[in-house]
Amino acid sequence: MSILPILMWPDPRLAETCAPIDQITPEIETLAADMLETMYAAPGRGLAGPQVGAMMRIFVMDTGWKEGKSDPMVCINPMIQEIGEARADTQEGCLSIPGVSAMVNRPTQVQMVWTGLDGGRYVQSFQGFAAVCAQHELDHLDGVVTFDHLDTDTRDALMAEYAAA
Amino acid sequence: MTVRICIPWPDKRLRTPAAQVGEITDETRAIWDDMIETMDAMPGVGLAAPQIGVMLQLAVVDASQKRNKRIRMANPQVLEASARMNIHEEASPNLPGVAARISRPRAVSVRYMNENGVITRGEFVGLEATSVQHQIDHLAGRMYFDNLSKVKRDMLLRRAKKLNS
Repeated sequence: MSILPILMWPDPRLAETCAPIDQITPEIETLAADMLETMYAAPGRGLAGPQVGAMMRIFVMDTGWKEGKSDPMVCINPMIQEIGEARADTQEGCLSIPGVSAMVNRPTQVQMVWTGLDGGRYVQSFQGFAAVCAQHELDHLDGVVTFDHLDTDTRDALMAEYAAA
Repeated sequence: MTVRICIPWPDKRLRTPAAQVGEITDETRAIWDDMIETMDAMPGVGLAAPQIGVMLQLAVVDASQKRNKRIRMANPQVLEASARMNIHEEASPNLPGVAARISRPRAVSVRYMNENGVITRGEFVGLEATSVQHQIDHLAGRMYFDNLSKVKRDMLLRRAKKLNS
């Protein structure tokens, strides 16, 4: 296991669409373990493949570990299957955009389907912080970061703040 | 801002896929503004540029009660769709007087370029999701009634012809 370097925005790789994973090889298993270790070390609660330069549809997430309720998840080829009606604003940070956080409006409930490291198909509904985290990581796989959800003025102000940080 | 004329079916342009938008310019923003004005005048919950004879992949959607949730999209593309379907009565200002109940995925994740020229990912549900999909149909040269069986579609077109002749 090793801690991987995290790419910093505006690295162009953070704006790319990632390719699906066809097969869970030992390399993918190692990548997933490294990504979890990198996430815990950062410390963060979610990390997507492109953030460590792995341009594949994979992210790791553990929303409860900071509160002592660790539940590491490896999500391969994740897709949103259902979306709840309600939306909310959440202040989101990002390991690739350190020092600033952005208020992003998202659905408060999503159902996601993905492939696990064991090759099994998983379906789970997320709400609260886990819903935000899952959508934030899924965004990364489509080359989208928090900045890309903001209106022009907010985006410009936050980018200036990031540049100054 | 101007209310534009919706070209009447069967104008060939309604059958023609629209061109991708390269970048967002003042001209693009002016078209979007006209489209919003035209949508509000109908009144409707969305409009695609080919409906006013502009052959670009531009769409506007506002499915809010207060008509204050404007969504401006360029090059929208469905990434993920829910398995659960929603039935909604759909109609078009290009073919007035008729409508049909159309079944579409209840929720969709869509990749599009927003008004800042930024590529983002949006999660849409309910009427908003229906409208986004209806507009994406237009941008591909499809009409909502193309989602009907041939019999129902022919019936609808005959009825429209009678009404509009």
